[in-house]
Amino acid sequence: MTREFGKHLVLGKVLHGRQECLPHWRFSRALSPFLACALLLCLLTGCQENTAFSHGKSTALDSVNLVEMTDDMTRKLLGNAAVQSEMAAKGRLKVVIQPVENRMTAEVLPRGAKDAFIARLRNKLQEAAPEKFAWVVNRDAWHAVRALELDAGPDPDRVQPEYSLTARFSSITKESSKSRSLYYLCTYTLNDINGGTLLWTGSYEVKKSAVKGFLD
Amino acid sequence: MNTTRLIVVSFFASCLAMGCSPTRDERTAHKAVIDYHHGDYARAIDRLRPVAGKPDENFVLNNARLGSAALASYDLTTAENAFLNAYEVINATGTNSGGRGAAAAIISEKMKVWKGEPFEKAMVNFYLGLVYYMGHEYDNARAAFENSLFKLREYGESRDRDDEYRAVESDFVIGYVMLGRCYQRMGDQANARKSFARAAELRPGLTGLTNYQQHAASNVLLVVDFGQGPRRITARYDSAFVGFGPHPNEIGPMPVPRVIVNQHVLAGAHGEARISPPIDLLALAQEKRWQDIDTIRAVKDVVGMGMIGGGAYMAHKASHERGSAQRRDATAAVALIAAGALLKASSQADTRTWEMLPRTTFLIPLRLPPGKHEITVDFPQEPGLAQTWRGLVAPERGEATYYVRIQPRTSGVHEWPPTAVPPPGVAAR
Repeated sequence: MTREFGKHLVLGKVLHGRQECLPHWRFSRALSPFLACALLLCLLTGCQENTAFSHGKSTALDSVNLVEMTDDMTRKLLGNAAVQSEMAAKGRLKVVIQPVENRMTAEVLPRGAKDAFIARLRNKLQEAAPEKFAWVVNRDAWHAVRALELDAGPDPDRVQPEYSLTARFSSITKESSKSRSLYYLCTYTLNDINGGTLLWTGSYEVKKSAVKGFLD
Repeated sequence: MNTTRLIVVSFFASCLAMGCSPTRDERTAHKAVIDYHHGDYARAIDRLRPVAGKPDENFVLNNARLGSAALASYDLTTAENAFLNAYEVINATGTNSGGRGAAAAIISEKMKVWKGEPFEKAMVNFYLGLVYYMGHEYDNARAAFENSLFKLREYGESRDRDDEYRAVESDFVIGYVMLGRCYQRMGDQANARKSFARAAELRPGLTGLTNYQQHAASNVLLVVDFGQGPRRITARYDSAFVGFGPHPNEIGPMPVPRVIVNQHVLAGAHGEARISPPIDLLALAQEKRWQDIDTIRAVKDVVGMGMIGGGAYMAHKASHERGSAQRRDATAAVALIAAGALLKASSQADTRTWEMLPRTTFLIPLRLPPGKHEITVDFPQEPGLAQTWRGLVAPERGEATYYVRIQPRTSGVHEWPPTAVPPPGVAAR
């Protein structure tokens, strides 16, 4: 190693303590690609939101599906001829709502979501036709409120619902090392409890898929 | 020191610091793991709750840890939320895009969002299913158990060999058994029979565990986690990932539990029903096809070595030159050696592990007279490992599921219900 060469080694400079041996412009020019990479990396990692959820794509049913589905079901239910004739004959329909039954393959539907998918439909129906429905508290919900010593209203045994509004979500799930895809079929039904007949049924279908990345 | 050099040195130092030293949250989680192994589940939950709420690269891992601690203390609401959090990120794709993947590749593999190996993903789903099952929410339990099988299946498929489907699934027979029980409780007897038949076909030795009638008749299910699960281990000198340990042969065969109900041996050694370990996570972790997670680290190590080699060559070349050519090549040599050294230094293996996992999970269905019972689970081959639970309730209708985590420091007598379980009449969840 020549003396001249030693002057230009960073490590040699540190060892010899001679700061003047490496001109600033050469140092920065040689390292500029690394600095650029460092700055780019900092921008990528530090400046944007980068949480465990910020970039992941889920194939689960989400709030967009919730809104689309319940809006669609509201239109279909209120526009159904059989439902309209029942309303005309009986006036207000006494309806109890049941949470969604999860029949999906390998897809969990948490309790809150189960309630939300049916509760939003109830709210939309109530908004659209408040004089057509009387909503009866679900027995389980009534007992849960009672257990918390809150006023749950009249005993559900005294208010007999005539109809039940419920939904069943099914799916076909495919998962491989490369992707995950789900086809959903969400079926809502309005059942005549006493007659044991199906007054109305409507369905919503959607397919969701996501491609797995290198670190998935 | 001028500004440019200060930036470079700071960058190198911060990269090294990010790659090597544990953060405050990691130290907190580590303490929680120690609490868990000491049987102090409440303290483990207190430590883990704040760190599990942070959506960082350890989000899944910390929620899995929190779920384990909460399940062991019967805090089922916390356990459900924690496992559900982990489940959602595990099921999502592209989690590590948007710079995190690049940062993991360039700086430290620990910067990627930890999602676990397939057997860890399967266990997250299994425990999520178990929490739902304990709360009699059978539709969601069924979905989670199905997903646990999916998580193992994908790896069999990734090698484009159909026969590996079967090999991988057979190691996770607990998923099929619990799936069968869910179908039984949901009234879908055809699918229940199919699930038990599949479990029996895959593991013919587990005759008691895969018996349809025995499960249908049971009103109490004991889920007993035993032993220590696999851990990622590295080589002593270069921190290279060498696999999961310990090897089952180092520990020996799993002991078989004995279940004593009201001083009467009911199952296990000298009991009426036979118990066999349905899975061995230590053996499952030895599957060679799963041990390819060290790709980034290995690539960085090789590239780093190459850059150092290239730098050495440039230095050698510069030593025979003069003037501006020498200065140019010398500077390039320095840059290459420094970058190579940085890459090598940051190529630490990602050893994050879900330390609470057991070696095996025993599923023990029992038919008991309705009422309260004193139930002991012990291991005659492992003196000192025993838990007695007083006041466990066998219902007249339906069933009750009890989770027992066997650890050396949790042996002794316990009273049912534990503090996390609300008194009768108050909705638990």
